[in-house]
Amino acid sequence: MTTRTMELSAAIIPNKPMQPFWAVIDEIQSEAPSVSTFWLRFLDPGLQAGFRFQPGQFNMLLVPGVGESAISISSSAEDNKRVGHTIRFVGNVTTAISRLKVGDVLGVRGPFGTSWPIEKHVGQDIMIAAGGIGLPPLRTVIYHIINHRSDYGRVVVLYGARTPQDLQFTREYKEWEKAGIEVVVTVDRADDKWEGPVGVVPLLFYRLRMDPRKTVIFSCGPEIMLRFVVFEALARRISSDRIYISMERNMKCGQGFCGHCQMGPYFVCKDGPVFTYAQLEPYFNVEDI
Amino acid sequence: MNQSQELVGALQTIPWFQELAPALFEKIAAISTLAAYEAGQELFREGDRESNLYIVLEGRVAIEMYIPGQGRVRIYTAEMLDVVGWSSVTPIVRQRTASARAVLPSLLVKIDTIKLNQLCQEDHDLGYVVMKRMANVIASRLLTTRLQMLDMFAHPGDKEAKNV
Amino acid sequence: MSEIPLTIGTTVALPKSEFDGLLNGLRQLGYETIGPQIKDEAVIYDSITSLADLPRGYTSEQDAGKYRLVYAGHNNYFDVTPGAQSWKKYFFPPRSEMAAFRRDPENPRRWLVEEPKAKYPLYALIGVRPCELAALQIQDRVFLREDLKDPIYRARRQGAFIVAVNCLHPGGTCFCASMETGPDAKTGYDLCMTELDDDFLVQIGSEAGRMALATQEWHPAAAFLLNQAKSGLEKARQNMGRSIANFRELPEALLRDMENPRYDQIAKRCMSCANCTLVCPTCFCWDTREVNELNGQRASRERVWDSCFNLEYSYVFGGNSRPLVRSRYRQWITHKLGSWWKQFDTAGCVGCGRCISWCPAAIDFTVEAAELRKEVKP
Repeated sequence: MTTRTMELSAAIIPNKPMQPFWAVIDEIQSEAPSVSTFWLRFLDPGLQAGFRFQPGQFNMLLVPGVGESAISISSSAEDNKRVGHTIRFVGNVTTAISRLKVGDVLGVRGPFGTSWPIEKHVGQDIMIAAGGIGLPPLRTVIYHIINHRSDYGRVVVLYGARTPQDLQFTREYKEWEKAGIEVVVTVDRADDKWEGPVGVVPLLFYRLRMDPRKTVIFSCGPEIMLRFVVFEALARRISSDRIYISMERNMKCGQGFCGHCQMGPYFVCKDGPVFTYAQLEPYFNVEDI
Repeated sequence: MNQSQELVGALQTIPWFQELAPALFEKIAAISTLAAYEAGQELFREGDRESNLYIVLEGRVAIEMYIPGQGRVRIYTAEMLDVVGWSSVTPIVRQRTASARAVLPSLLVKIDTIKLNQLCQEDHDLGYVVMKRMANVIASRLLTTRLQMLDMFAHPGDKEAKNV
Repeated sequence: MSEIPLTIGTTVALPKSEFDGLLNGLRQLGYETIGPQIKDEAVIYDSITSLADLPRGYTSEQDAGKYRLVYAGHNNYFDVTPGAQSWKKYFFPPRSEMAAFRRDPENPRRWLVEEPKAKYPLYALIGVRPCELAALQIQDRVFLREDLKDPIYRARRQGAFIVAVNCLHPGGTCFCASMETGPDAKTGYDLCMTELDDDFLVQIGSEAGRMALATQEWHPAAAFLLNQAKSGLEKARQNMGRSIANFRELPEALLRDMENPRYDQIAKRCMSCANCTLVCPTCFCWDTREVNELNGQRASRERVWDSCFNLEYSYVFGGNSRPLVRSRYRQWITHKLGSWWKQFDTAGCVGCGRCISWCPAAIDFTVEAAELRKEVKP
């Protein structure tokens, strides 16, 4: 299990772990039905300038009086002017967030969790397999790759959503392709205006040729999709310590204190959310673990 | 290069054809042709009794079903090396259960399945290879269909609101 | 009192009649002295001012799903094994405020963090059994990590004065000997007592303990008393109500068979009532609660005890990751006896037996552990 070092520029006070820092909503971008990116800027300019996170980490966003929600950071780790959080509106807290306007304030604690180890795999081919709301935490990796493109070999983004209307960040795909990233997008179903593939992400995987010795997989999405991506990856002889998946569980404290996010012996907030399949293997296929 | 040389060349790019013994390869080549489709052109329609097996060499073919009131819903796209129209090889299915239409300009191998089924009947070795292949195609489609059916990207929507 | 200087590690004898002097001394130093008492036909922990407040002469009959306080008429104050409450409520309170916010009077769209005003009392815990002491030390690993320390726990814990009491008469559901946490306390106490007929044998565990005892009417402990304590403890070790064999082998044994049919059998009895987690001295799970003032000017966040048996505990997007009782019981036992090692480098169970006594379905944790480690033949 990786240990994180807490940097002073994080929005965390080590001896007051539940105290938030205030950030103002700078901009709200609609991405898809019920999904928007909230761009937050810390009220303390020093904190904003110094705030550092790794791709794959998340913040706990607080609406005072309503509660907190764990939201992955979806902006570039090299942007220190503001922090982007792509949120799907599904419950009490996220619905409350959806009603906020530019200029309103949220409490932020973070960043928490393990990250996609992109710097460890310099020189390798990177396969990014995302589904639905799983794309935002991987977008941080895509930005890192674009900023360091020559550090990596072949880079493919496989992305699946329910219908063409649910695809996120569509205006960015051209830029990613211009940076030398293959972008393959599929939907579960479409009408005849959609000219792209119709199918599921594991199927896209199945169709790709890849060299298992050079390839690393980063995947995020519904657990059932992860199951099949892992299945396809293992069938391609990619070793389980080169398959990275991001897990999701109920989170309250974000720091391994409250117990909610446990999956087997792991605290998903602290030992994850990014795990290698090698770490998860004894527990992944236990139903209702 | 004449049509038959072009055809043989194309067939040899398909992995399961490469595995066939030369005699079996020739039998299938003899009942196959190359077919080119423009974007938007139909291969066959739901309800047709058209009997061909298609293998995509280039382009993309959409499988669609028509829902009255909603129009055509695209439920699958066949990419390079995917099979389209496997239902004409299976014994029971009598007519097309979905429509197929080229989305991009496409090149396909087209195999006459009435003749294919006859060949399989006469030569059980060939029949075994063909059926094994079709079983794989159908299995893969079934898994994809199941995953689509699970609708894993759906919003729980109006379920009881929780702290998320 | 004597002119002989006391040192840490020394054991002396304190007559029971002088014990109140120790309590008074502690209270004068500002401690709130807490000890076992009887309330509602069970032993609970609450403020005490004198030895007379303690349940002298009582013992408890405990078995799976059973707890009865019985007056046995003996001379001892501390002989009742613990009831449903554990000392964790003093350091990890069932409900506490973690953070509070006020609307900024100059900008209603903004909030200001309220500085915490809570002053934490100094607790002197009198009568902490070795199992409970071990539990406290386990919770120290949870709440006081190298990278993060829970402020509420730390503020209460760092000043606490602990008077441990060794167990000479374990209860019907006790198995501290199997878990290597008792019947005598090992470390972590300021004073550790063994109750004999007229005296307490008191071993000094720290400077604070030494200073508290130094001014009391203690006298040197004779060999006779020391031997009495020693053989009493040995007898206690042999007379545990329950046991778990080879607890260090459990993590692997449990993980090996997560689909053991025994879990289905347990699920038929378990009501998922969460009693076991409430009475357990090591359980640490908690939930957040948002509290609002009606005028919308103040919002605060409370921490409340939670349990992995609660259905909402494992809510995930679109459903629940442990919808069945079977999987929730499995989570509890595999965490307590298994995963805890990976997380905190210790077992999570101290062998206090509370979960056995207070389970309304009379599910016996030790029996289940034994059944679950058996290899199931196909």
